[in-house]
Amino acid sequence: MSPPAEPRATGSPTPASPKMAFGRMQESGLVVVILLLGVLLTVFSGSVQTPVFAPGPDGLPQRVYTTNASGESVPATVEKNKFLNAQNLAQLAKDTSFIAIMAVGMSVVIIAGGIDLSVGAIYALASVLGALTLREFGPGADHILLAPWVGVSIGAFVCIGVATLCGLINGGLIVALRVHPFIITLGAMAILRGIAFVTTKGQSIGGFPPAFRELIRYEVGNGLSLVPLAVMLLVTVLGGIFLSRLAAGRRVYAIGGNELAARFSGIRVERVKLGVYLISGATAGIAALLALGYYGAATSGDGQGYELNVIAAAVVGGASLTGGKGSALGAVLGALVIQMINSGIVILGIDQNYSQIIIGAVVIAAVVLDNLNTWLARRRPAASA
Amino acid sequence: MAFLEFDRITKRFPGALALDGVSFAVERGSCHALIGENGAGKSTLGRILAGVHRADSGEIRLDGRVIHPTSPLAARQLGIAMVHQELAFCPNLTVAENLCLGDLPRRTLGWVDRAALRERARRMLAEIGADIDPDAVIGTLSTGREQLVQIAAAVGSGAQVIVMDEPTSSLSSGETRELFRLIGELKARGITLIYVSHRMEELFALCDHVTVLRDGRFVATEAIAATNQARVVRQMTGRELLVQTPAHLTRALGDEFLRVENLSSPGHFSAVNFAVRAGEVVGLAGLVGAGRSEVAQAILGLDAAATGRVFVRGRELKLGAMDTAMAAGLGLVPEDRKRQGLVLPLNCRENAALAALPLLSRAGWVDRTAERALVGRYAQRLRVRTASLEAPISSLSGGNQQKLALAKWLARDCDVLIVDEPTRGIDVGAKAEIYQLLDELAGEGKALLVISSELPELIGLCRRILVMREGRLAGEVARENFSEHGLLEIMAGVAAA
Repeated sequence: MSPPAEPRATGSPTPASPKMAFGRMQESGLVVVILLLGVLLTVFSGSVQTPVFAPGPDGLPQRVYTTNASGESVPATVEKNKFLNAQNLAQLAKDTSFIAIMAVGMSVVIIAGGIDLSVGAIYALASVLGALTLREFGPGADHILLAPWVGVSIGAFVCIGVATLCGLINGGLIVALRVHPFIITLGAMAILRGIAFVTTKGQSIGGFPPAFRELIRYEVGNGLSLVPLAVMLLVTVLGGIFLSRLAAGRRVYAIGGNELAARFSGIRVERVKLGVYLISGATAGIAALLALGYYGAATSGDGQGYELNVIAAAVVGGASLTGGKGSALGAVLGALVIQMINSGIVILGIDQNYSQIIIGAVVIAAVVLDNLNTWLARRRPAASA
Repeated sequence: MAFLEFDRITKRFPGALALDGVSFAVERGSCHALIGENGAGKSTLGRILAGVHRADSGEIRLDGRVIHPTSPLAARQLGIAMVHQELAFCPNLTVAENLCLGDLPRRTLGWVDRAALRERARRMLAEIGADIDPDAVIGTLSTGREQLVQIAAAVGSGAQVIVMDEPTSSLSSGETRELFRLIGELKARGITLIYVSHRMEELFALCDHVTVLRDGRFVATEAIAATNQARVVRQMTGRELLVQTPAHLTRALGDEFLRVENLSSPGHFSAVNFAVRAGEVVGLAGLVGAGRSEVAQAILGLDAAATGRVFVRGRELKLGAMDTAMAAGLGLVPEDRKRQGLVLPLNCRENAALAALPLLSRAGWVDRTAERALVGRYAQRLRVRTASLEAPISSLSGGNQQKLALAKWLARDCDVLIVDEPTRGIDVGAKAEIYQLLDELAGEGKALLVISSELPELIGLCRRILVMREGRLAGEVARENFSEHGLLEIMAGVAAA
C-alpha cells in the first residue's frame, strides 16, 4: 500500500533536480574528457614492439624465442599500442591512486573554503617516520621475532597517525590563531619537510618487512597493482558518503559557501574546520603508506610538489577555491586527467620538461571552462524567462 | 523647462518591480526630497540617476538633454554625484588619496606629488568648510565625517546634482546639524540636491519639494510649503492596511517562554531586560545602530562578549553557543538574508534543512526522505515559488529567498523565534504572506520577537513594542497606545515612555 503523498513545494515534484543533474553533468563532463584523452593518446601514441614473456619451468617469466626467416633464434615480440596496453594502464592506475587519495582530502578542505599546501610535506614526514618504524621490524632488525603483521600494523599506524596529527595541528592553528589557511599550511609545508630532513639526515630509509611490501605490491594479471587502486576506491566512496550523505559533510559545504550563515545556523564552524584539515592530513598519510610499500623506501624529499598536483586534481575535478563546491568523485577524476596528461607527455615523446607547462595550462583551462559553464547555466533560465 | 526630468523610468529586479514608469521634474538649485516606505523605490531611483543601476526603460533629461548615466563615472562626468550610506572609499587610504584617487597629481616617472596631493585635498575640504585632516585614514573617520569627505569629493569634481541616500541614518545629532548647514550652503551655490529619506521632520526642515513614491509608482510631487506631514504620510501609505488585526491578539497568552535579564555587551548594548510569553508577538523597534540585532544575536549565543542571563521556558541558558541555544528552543531569522541567512552555493532544500540538520540525522547520516518531506512541507506552507526545491537558491526572487530563510527556522520547530527585519527588500505580496505566517505561528503558541525598522509593520503585528535607543531599552508601548509618532519620539530620545 502506498502512503499518501507528502505535500510538496509548488512546481515540479520530481526529485531529479537541475542542480543534481548539473552535478552529474559536471562529473560526466570529466568522464568525457578522460575518454577523449584516452582516444587521442591511443591514436597518436603509435605502437611499440615488446618482448613476449611466458612462465618458464621454474614459474618465473622467461622470454619466448622464435626462429626468423634465416633460421636464427630471436626474441619473440608483439606489437602493442603505446598507450592502450595493460601494463601502461596498470601503471597509470597506480600513479593516479596516490594523487587521487590525497585529492579527495584536499577537495574536502577546498569545499570548506580552505586550502592545504602542506599535504606534500605531510606525505614526506609520514613516509619517513613510517619507514623508520617499519625498518625496526625489517630483516636484520631486533624485532624480527615478532609476527610480521604486528610490525606492519605498527608501521601503518605511525604513518597514518603522524599525518593525521599534522592535519589536526594545521586545523588547530588555523582555528586558534585565526590566520588564513594559506599562511599556516605554507609554514607547515616548510616545517614538516624540515623535520623529515633532520630526522633522516637526508638519508633514504629502506629495509622493510617483506610481508609489507608483498601486501602492497600484490599484483594480478600484467602488473596491475590492486592494493593502491582498491584503497583509492575505498577512500573515494568514504569521501563521497561523508560529503553527500552525512550531516558533517553538509556542514562542510555550508561553511565553505557562507561561513557567517553557517554560524547563524548553529554550526560549530571551528570544529568543522578542524575536521577538514584532519581529513586532508589522514589522506596524505594513507597515500604515504601505499607509496612506502610500493617503492620500498622513503626520503625527506618524497612528495615534492605533490601539493600542487593534488590541488590541481581537486580543482580540475570541480572544487571551487571560493568554497561550497566540489565532490570526491570529481577529485579522483581530476587526478586521473592530470596523470593521463603526465603519462601522455611521456608516451607522445614530448620533452618531459614541458609537462609542468602543459599541466599548468590545463588547470587554468579547466577552471575557465567551469566558470563558463556556470555562467551559461545561469543565463539560460534568464533568457527563457 | 525643468532642470532635471525623469520620464517613465522603469526598473525591474529579480522578483520585484522596483520602479514602474516614474516621471517627475526637479528644479535647478532646489533640494528635492524623494520619500516613500522601504521598498517604494526611492533609493533605486537615486541610484539610477547616479549611474549605480541602469533603468530598464524611460529616460532622464538634464537641462533638456537626454543623459545616459551608465556608470558612476559616467554620471560624475555629467555632473551628478552620489553620497552613499555605506562606505564609498578605500578605507585603508588617506582622505587626500581618496579625494584625488581618479587623478593623482604626478611628477615625472609617475611619482605621486604628495605635497600637491595634500594641498588639493585641503582646498576641496575647505570649499565645503569641513575641518578634516587630509592625512587621516578614511577607515578611522566616523560615518558622518566620511560623508563630508564624499560631499567634498562631489563638490570638488564640479557636481551640479548631488544625490544623498538616507544621509542622516547613522549620524549623531551634531553631525546632522553640520550636514544641514552644509546642504543650505550647497543650495545657495545653485547645486541641486536629491534627498532620499523617509524621515519626515528632515524633509520639512530642509527641502523645497517632495516627490512621494509608493510600491515603485509615482504618487505626487508637491512644494513643501503646499503640503504637510499628515498629507505626505497618507500619500506614502495610501493603501489598505497590510494586515488586518492579527488573530493572535484575541488569544490568551501562555507561559513565559523567554526572559532576558540584564543582558549586556560592551560597546553594543547594556542592561537589557524583557520577557516574551507563549503566543505573544513582541516588537523591537529602534533606529539603525540602536543595538536591536546585537541583542538578538547575543541571546542566540553569537556574541562571545555578552553577559547577563537568558531563560528559555524557565531554564537558564548557557550563553555563547548557538547550538545550545537552538537545542533549548531558540531560533533567529537574521536581518541580512544574503550574508547571514543563506548559503548561496547550496540549493533550496539544503538551505532550508541547515538549521534542522541535527533533527534530520541519525548517527550522523542525513535522512534524505525525512529531509525532503520536512522542507517540502514548509515550502508548501509558505508558498515558496520555485521550479524545484533542488534549484539553486540564488535563482529565487528576494521574497522567495526570505520565505526559505523563514522555512529554515520553521523546520527547526523553535519555541521562541526571533525574526530580524523579516520583510526587508521584498515586495508587498510576499510581505502580506509573511505577516500572515507570523500571526499563525503566534497562534500555534510560539513566542515571537520581531525586530523591524518599519514601524507600520510592528504596529500591525505586535501586542507590545519595546523601543531601543543607543544600546538601552528606552521604553515599552502597549498596543492600545501604538502610534508611529509616539514610537519615533522614544526612538529618537525626544520623550520617554
